[in-house]
Amino acid sequence: MTRGRAVRDGLGLLARLGLSATFLVSGGLKASDPRETVVAVRAYGLLPESLVTVVAAALPYLEIALGVLLLLGLATRLAAVMTGVLFVVFIGGVISAAARGLSIDCGCFGGGGTVEAGQTGYAAEIVRDLGFLVLAAYLVFRPDTPLSLDRWARSRSGSTA
Amino acid sequence: MRVDERTRDVAQGGKRNTQGNSGGTNRPASNQNGKSAGSRQSVAAARQLSAGQNRTQLIIGGVAIVVIVAIIVVGLVLNKKESAVQSEGYGASTQSVATTANGIVTVSKPGSTPAVTIDLYEDALCPVCAEFERQFGQQINKAVDEGTLAVNVHLLDFLNPQSFSRDYSTRAAAASLCVAQEDGSTPGAYLGFHSALFASETQPQEGSSGDLTDQQLADLASTSGAPAAAECITSGRNIAAAVAASTTSQETLKKATGGQVRTPTVVHNGAPVQLSVDWLSKLLAQP
Repeated sequence: MTRGRAVRDGLGLLARLGLSATFLVSGGLKASDPRETVVAVRAYGLLPESLVTVVAAALPYLEIALGVLLLLGLATRLAAVMTGVLFVVFIGGVISAAARGLSIDCGCFGGGGTVEAGQTGYAAEIVRDLGFLVLAAYLVFRPDTPLSLDRWARSRSGSTA
Repeated sequence: MRVDERTRDVAQGGKRNTQGNSGGTNRPASNQNGKSAGSRQSVAAARQLSAGQNRTQLIIGGVAIVVIVAIIVVGLVLNKKESAVQSEGYGASTQSVATTANGIVTVSKPGSTPAVTIDLYEDALCPVCAEFERQFGQQINKAVDEGTLAVNVHLLDFLNPQSFSRDYSTRAAAASLCVAQEDGSTPGAYLGFHSALFASETQPQEGSSGDLTDQQLADLASTSGAPAAAECITSGRNIAAAVAASTTSQETLKKATGGQVRTPTVVHNGAPVQLSVDWLSKLLAQP
């Protein structure tokens, strides 16, 4: 194994597990307080009321599902693409809230709703989400990581071919 | 099978092609151009590999989608259970009366000896309290009407700064004291006003550009069955009492929670109750 490959493996594993842990925590916190999640989604004021409850119900579990796939390294590229799309949506939501002068908490890790003016952290939230987006993009281009079901399945199919 | 370094390289190429969606055949074709027989052989091997790996990729993708769909479906079922409206269809309280002491409103059925008494801490501006009212309001109405539950309602005012008028929480708390004092003996009047405060068509949003005036609060009391409270509300008679009650209630709440003031909080026997979907059923079922 070359040194470059070892570095790539390490980076890939770090990106995969980092995103996975983030999703499992954020999804778990959102799922554990459904009333608050509804309020957080509604606070963005972007969705009609009928969609607010649906998104608030499904989003935590979509995050958990992506967290599980990334943890297992199953269909890493597919999971990374979905992760990227999700973060683009999140970043768009936060930018839109900032542009409209709302003072809300992003509700990214549970909580959410309105906060006092001056307590919003839009810039930090966007920078953080951009960081996650970079990790997702890395995995889209290099989805082959160690300790993954993907690699295991490939080595099996390789040996039987 | 042990792959030597050369086949491994081609296998890598094949893998990339399989995953890349495009150019699946270009790469081996360009490799083929005038290269050695050995290279050609490994290209053939790569193609074989590639067929097997294509299938593997399809299976992996399929499994992944099944996993996502399964987790979301299970989640939606859990969420539906967890956020289901309790005692749906019961509607407004018909038997409850309200009394006040030190700015705290106590709701119960007259002549009953409720086995369970809870302290409910809310702020009229708090959006999660509105969700709480939507989900558990009817169940509370029903339990109070049946004489099994008494509720001490503490309306706090810590969200004042988030309201347009900067004192909405206080004025709403004062209005609810007025309703309890002037119309508390009218069955259902207080709980009716309480529900109306948190109704989605009434409750102002945090940080929005408007809330209810005292006159509008008085009108709300009238339409929810407490017409005698109007003068008390518009004159602001209970403002000082509401501020004082909020301060003392925040202190008792902090004692129960270990320092945290957040709403809604239900306190039973001096400890906060975990507000799962069945919290009230569980409390009422206790011997």
